[in-house]
Amino acid sequence: MAAFCIRSMLLRNLTCQNLISADPTLTSRVLVCHQQVRGRRRTCKPPSWFSKRRVSIKQDITPENAKFIKDVIIETYKKPESPLKDGPWSRGTWTPRTQRTGVLAIKLGMLPQWTKDGKKFITTLLQVLDNHVINYTPPDEFAKSMGWKPYWGSKYGSVVVGALSCEPHLFSKSYNNLFAKAGVPPKRKLTRFLVTPDAAIQPGTPLNVMHFRIGDYVDCSAKTIGHGFQGVMKRWGMKGGPATHGCTKAHRRMGSMGGGRDKAGVWKGKRMPGHMGMDWRIVKGLKIWRIDTKYNVLYVTGYSVPGPTHGYVRVYDTVLKHKREHLIENGNPPPMPTFYPEDGKEPIPEEYLDDELFNFNNESISYATEK
Amino acid sequence: MAAPCRKIINQFVKRSLKCFEPRVIPCRWSNTVRNHTVEKHRHSPLSSTRELVNQQDSPSDVMVPREFRFVHPDFLPYPVWNRRDRVREKLEREDMLKRRAVIDIPEFYVGSIMAVTLADKNAPGKQNRFVGICIDRAGHGLYHYFVLRNAIDGQGVEIKYDMYNPLLLKIEVLKLEKRLDPQLYYLRDAPLEYSTFRLDMEPVSVLKGAQVPLNAIKVKMNPRPWCRRWERHNLKGVLPLDDYITEKMKKQKQHPQIEKPWEKHDLMLKARTSIDDREVDQIMTEVYKRKEKIQKEKFQKRGQEGKREVKKAQEVKK
Amino acid sequence: MLGKLFPIPKMNKIAQAGVLVFRGPNACVSAFPIQSFSTSPCLNQIIKLSRMKVVDNSMLGRKAELASKPARVIHIYNKKGVGYLGDKVLVAIMGEKKRAYIVGLRQNQKENVPRFDSNNIVLVEDNGTPTGTRIRVPIPSCLRNREGDFTKILSIATKFV
Repeated sequence: MAAFCIRSMLLRNLTCQNLISADPTLTSRVLVCHQQVRGRRRTCKPPSWFSKRRVSIKQDITPENAKFIKDVIIETYKKPESPLKDGPWSRGTWTPRTQRTGVLAIKLGMLPQWTKDGKKFITTLLQVLDNHVINYTPPDEFAKSMGWKPYWGSKYGSVVVGALSCEPHLFSKSYNNLFAKAGVPPKRKLTRFLVTPDAAIQPGTPLNVMHFRIGDYVDCSAKTIGHGFQGVMKRWGMKGGPATHGCTKAHRRMGSMGGGRDKAGVWKGKRMPGHMGMDWRIVKGLKIWRIDTKYNVLYVTGYSVPGPTHGYVRVYDTVLKHKREHLIENGNPPPMPTFYPEDGKEPIPEEYLDDELFNFNNESISYATEK
Repeated sequence: MAAPCRKIINQFVKRSLKCFEPRVIPCRWSNTVRNHTVEKHRHSPLSSTRELVNQQDSPSDVMVPREFRFVHPDFLPYPVWNRRDRVREKLEREDMLKRRAVIDIPEFYVGSIMAVTLADKNAPGKQNRFVGICIDRAGHGLYHYFVLRNAIDGQGVEIKYDMYNPLLLKIEVLKLEKRLDPQLYYLRDAPLEYSTFRLDMEPVSVLKGAQVPLNAIKVKMNPRPWCRRWERHNLKGVLPLDDYITEKMKKQKQHPQIEKPWEKHDLMLKARTSIDDREVDQIMTEVYKRKEKIQKEKFQKRGQEGKREVKKAQEVKK
Repeated sequence: MLGKLFPIPKMNKIAQAGVLVFRGPNACVSAFPIQSFSTSPCLNQIIKLSRMKVVDNSMLGRKAELASKPARVIHIYNKKGVGYLGDKVLVAIMGEKKRAYIVGLRQNQKENVPRFDSNNIVLVEDNGTPTGTRIRVPIPSCLRNREGDFTKILSIATKFV
């Protein structure tokens, strides 16, 4: 009995340490769960290792003092302690196996665009708002951390990226400590990307749309729109029962669940009522058609990027082999580990357009000259 | 032995319970940033990609004519609140204005007679012209479209055009007119003479600044069956339909679930399906300024070209 | 008798002549009195037994129109079983089996593609030559890039929209 008590105590102690710990490698795993797990996938309860982020603001501050605090915050982050104090990190070279970091964008909605043949297609707009690299963990260290999965091996390190800067007095101390290394204000949202060690980025580096280029392909992962607990007709599109003809209490129910003989019983994975949406989904291989550098907006193929308007979307280089081929063949690797504005010799134009995309500044498409 | 252990465990339990304090996480929106929060972050001084307020966009003393919003209904954004975004709407409007600088999109209404020239790969002249009456215009922003109808060789033909499609070479208004109804789909069930227009029709000139004429014609419909239940649509441009419908249909029409008399008093419905007047003013001011600027540039270009031509002519004379 | 059951105060010209025009998607001439139920199938799709209007000047098509016995689709030569613009179909007309091409549809079309008030077909012989010598109604311009037997139909067309 005593042994059990001590053991459970130790376990609790461990979790408690994580709770208090300000180690970003441990806390950063709050964010992403790629793997689909049977059982409860979504819950309103935060996990045991989740430290409380938000703190209640004291209401008894006078407006002048509140303004003073605001000014101080802006001053401190205007000239932050240089994150490059230990010198810029050496940049790796791109190989076909390289996996760069991604960005955390916000979905703005859809717009139609036209190709140069006059074909209409839909694009999704993703805005990259105020992204910074918060932390980088090399592979060997990452393999020891809590969020590591054995099948990743020792290939990948992790990069934590944050979006939307906030005032630090809104958050708890442990959460603010995460950003000390990067020297940026605390972010509203964090996410983690697996990267190969040659794409390591120094904490504090800003990320923007120029991380990607026109004609490249990206994957988008985001949480779908939540619909709550739904029946079988809405969730899986089953037919339901008849409306009349003596049908009682079976208008929207599923039919039979299982057969007889060797197919007897309800099989695992049977489609049933349950929570619909609010689930991580990935859409792969979306082409970048257009980049707006003024507003930091990407125009990406299709209307299938998951989530509602103003939802967070993780955007990263595609994993599809056949859509990475053009990078290898043309010898045209993407900027490594990200785009640095000081590298570019020419000033960045306000807009980049794909070669096949119709530019609204141009004349109407006319076939009359082709003869 | 057990007592101190229990104490410590209790402490831990209490502490861990603290982080399970009941919190309300709105399930449907917890993966979303609210609209005003996004706006706050876009203009926040802490943001590294801070968006500066453009002086040109701020409202000023420019007086936009009241009719401007009815002439350009395509500039009004999609009114559903949770799908709206300021930056997307702005980029969309910019694209539209760019296109409007290239092609002249005239003022027209449902009921106007129009001609559209479309680039066509397969046609002998590489372009195709269609004349017809505008029976509908709808869609927001770049999605805006209009439908033309004509009867050619006794066969009713309708074509839907996307207004910002780059294949459109020319949009002409042959007769500027308004009708009594917002949509004229009932012409499908009317005799063909109401929707027959000559393909070589000549444009009717309208005095500049004059009011748009209203064509108060009342269409006589064909007997049923129709493609829709027109008796339920409260059509104004149609002669009374009482002769064509049965007593039962008349009764059905007055059923509250079909008539929906409460809808005209439903303020929430109006708010959901339309855009606030103040916001419309803002958008229209922006568009009006840009359009004026574009026109000035065009005039300047023309003037320069004219000067050049004059110079050339003079040189030739010499 | 039927007139009493379905009183119609005003009839159009053809109705006065004793034949009524069906104004469903499959517009055609019928000997039946006017019906109070809709004959338009859902989505206006061309499926088996859809009634079509022959728009060429062939004798067979004219005869069928006068006898108010419209052509009916009995097979569609594609895998979907639903006919779209430019598809080949097999129709039953005046007790004969004939092949035909769809040259106009009543259902809603994409932008820049015309939508007609009736479902139109042009009859062709088994070897692909059109039965008639002229098409009486306009034909969608998007069909002009069709190849094979369709070029023969395009050559007898009078107008394109």
